[in-house]
Amino acid sequence: MYLTKDEQAVLDGEKGPGAQKAMELVTALGKIYGADGLVPITSAHLSGASYKTIGDGGLKYLEDLAAGGAKVTVPSTLNPVGMDRTRWREMHINEHFAEKQLRIIGLYGQMGVQETCSCTPYLGANVPKCGDHVAWAESSALSFVNSYIGARTNREGGPGALAAAILGKTANYGLHLDRNRRPTVVIDASEMEDSVFDYSLLGQAVGMAVGGGVPYFTGIRPGVDEAKALSAAMAAAGSVALWHAEGCTPEAAKYDVSGLEHVPIGPAERQKAKEKLNTADEPQLIAIGCPHLSPKEMNDIAVLLKGKEKKRKDIEIWFCTSAAVRAQCPDAVKEMERFGPVLADTCMVVAPIEGMFQRTATNSAKAGNYLPTLCSQKVVFGETADLLKVVE
Amino acid sequence: MIMHGRAIAPGTAEGEALVLDEPFSFLGGADGATGDLHVRTGNLAGKVFVFPKGKGSTVGSFVMYDLKVHGKAPAAVVNQTAETIVTTGAVIASIPMADQVDVSLIREGDRVIVDGKRGYVELPDVQVLDSASSVILTAGKVLMLCRPPAARSFPGVWSLVSGRVERGETPEETARREIKEETGLTVGFPDAVLPPVLVREGNTVWRVWPFLFRAEQAKPVLNRENTAFQWVAPAEVSERPTVAKVPDIIKLFIGQ
Repeated sequence: MYLTKDEQAVLDGEKGPGAQKAMELVTALGKIYGADGLVPITSAHLSGASYKTIGDGGLKYLEDLAAGGAKVTVPSTLNPVGMDRTRWREMHINEHFAEKQLRIIGLYGQMGVQETCSCTPYLGANVPKCGDHVAWAESSALSFVNSYIGARTNREGGPGALAAAILGKTANYGLHLDRNRRPTVVIDASEMEDSVFDYSLLGQAVGMAVGGGVPYFTGIRPGVDEAKALSAAMAAAGSVALWHAEGCTPEAAKYDVSGLEHVPIGPAERQKAKEKLNTADEPQLIAIGCPHLSPKEMNDIAVLLKGKEKKRKDIEIWFCTSAAVRAQCPDAVKEMERFGPVLADTCMVVAPIEGMFQRTATNSAKAGNYLPTLCSQKVVFGETADLLKVVE
Repeated sequence: MIMHGRAIAPGTAEGEALVLDEPFSFLGGADGATGDLHVRTGNLAGKVFVFPKGKGSTVGSFVMYDLKVHGKAPAAVVNQTAETIVTTGAVIASIPMADQVDVSLIREGDRVIVDGKRGYVELPDVQVLDSASSVILTAGKVLMLCRPPAARSFPGVWSLVSGRVERGETPEETARREIKEETGLTVGFPDAVLPPVLVREGNTVWRVWPFLFRAEQAKPVLNRENTAFQWVAPAEVSERPTVAKVPDIIKLFIGQ
């Protein structure tokens, strides 16, 4: 792996121990994946922000890093954390958890990371341009910016993305290189409904059918919300970090896909995908907003709830979005809050709900995959409108 | 013995080997505060932790950091193949690490020195000895010899025509000499050779140099080094107890 004189100097510790550690990590990861050198990045998005997932080991790591004076050198945003940072009591979070969680957010802030705490930074806080090299963690977000925007990132882990953010560079391998961005399989989607939920099912079905690789879709023209759901589902059901859609995504026209294997995904495959994620009937919590709700999705939900009453007081409802979107949609928030809190900074997957609920309903295929493993939940999986009928 | 692997995380450390032969997840696999393993009895503190590769949750990197904070981290990590989680954990927790060495040659309890900057893994108490091992192929069958029950190494199992390389000999000369001594056969140039194969036996690693000789109408006459011979079809070699890696060598030469 080639390092410039300056990069070698950082590795040798001439720019201090913080930068040296970051360089050790970026070069070690580059080495195991066959990188030829480093590439400058324009932004980073960091995972490993919830106290529930990183624990005391992660907290101590961040404390030591911040105490050593580490600072990010490119615009960097943070993934959702384990609670809404002001309304955590409404989520039944205890003081101990809240105190540790707030410390984690503060430490990232101290290192210069924007404390946005969202999995959809590309909706406003952190928007790469086509062709930008970036270092993003958070599987759904990195797949979105790779695919729908045409930026270039690998599936970074939390510490790797933070190290890249500190250096302003990441290792040049994988999806940073043209040759690895070529489609590997054609997905012929048919009879798609014009709904975000159907794209979630499509992603789940593709993840189940092909696992990884670079799918090339025919028969779909996803908008931003549909692309968000599709990216999230494919990254959770499989390990897809980049996809193309004919006549839609920025790189699709570059590729000749003749000769590739075709996999048809129709209503039957999507129905099967839906059934796979359904493991319960009666939820205790309905959680909507994985990935975080966009302004349009907020308004759609508000329209759906207008004029209705929440009759089932025993079922809790959480809506999850970013603080920015929540601030942007005051009318929708007002309507939604009659049913349950509109939470920012967090979601049902990274919050410690395993001590509070056993059965959670969601419209998200991504959450449907992770709720059983990360939160010990049984899942009611369905379209938002159907899920919310339960409480009318 | 020194194995030249790949440098992953810098630093040098020495310790006793703790060896797992399965991929390992630090999350769930070990207690970050005590160093105790959950997958079997054992404690990671101060050990050279040897396993094929990492698996599981990315939180495993932070468990490695937690081990370090509590003074319970392994002294070093050696993997067959490094992946993201263990690499990240080793670097952030400043645990020397190397990969791309044959971890099957390291035994529980071995004294191991890891140089994570150069990628060297040294087993100072293990010696390396050279031997030559010949596949003699006649009419599609391989000559196998049975070692006496009292043999010093690999007693009572089936082997190829093998022997230790003596001082001043090349491995090919050893091969021809051993064939003559053990079977009475005279062979010409080898039909094929392979890079050496490493086999662990006690505190010795045998560097075995494999040769293939074709012989027509060979009628072996054994000396005292072996008790019996058989002509064996390559596919049936593994049906009998053999010296380690013998089936692999035959497979590499003949492809079955």
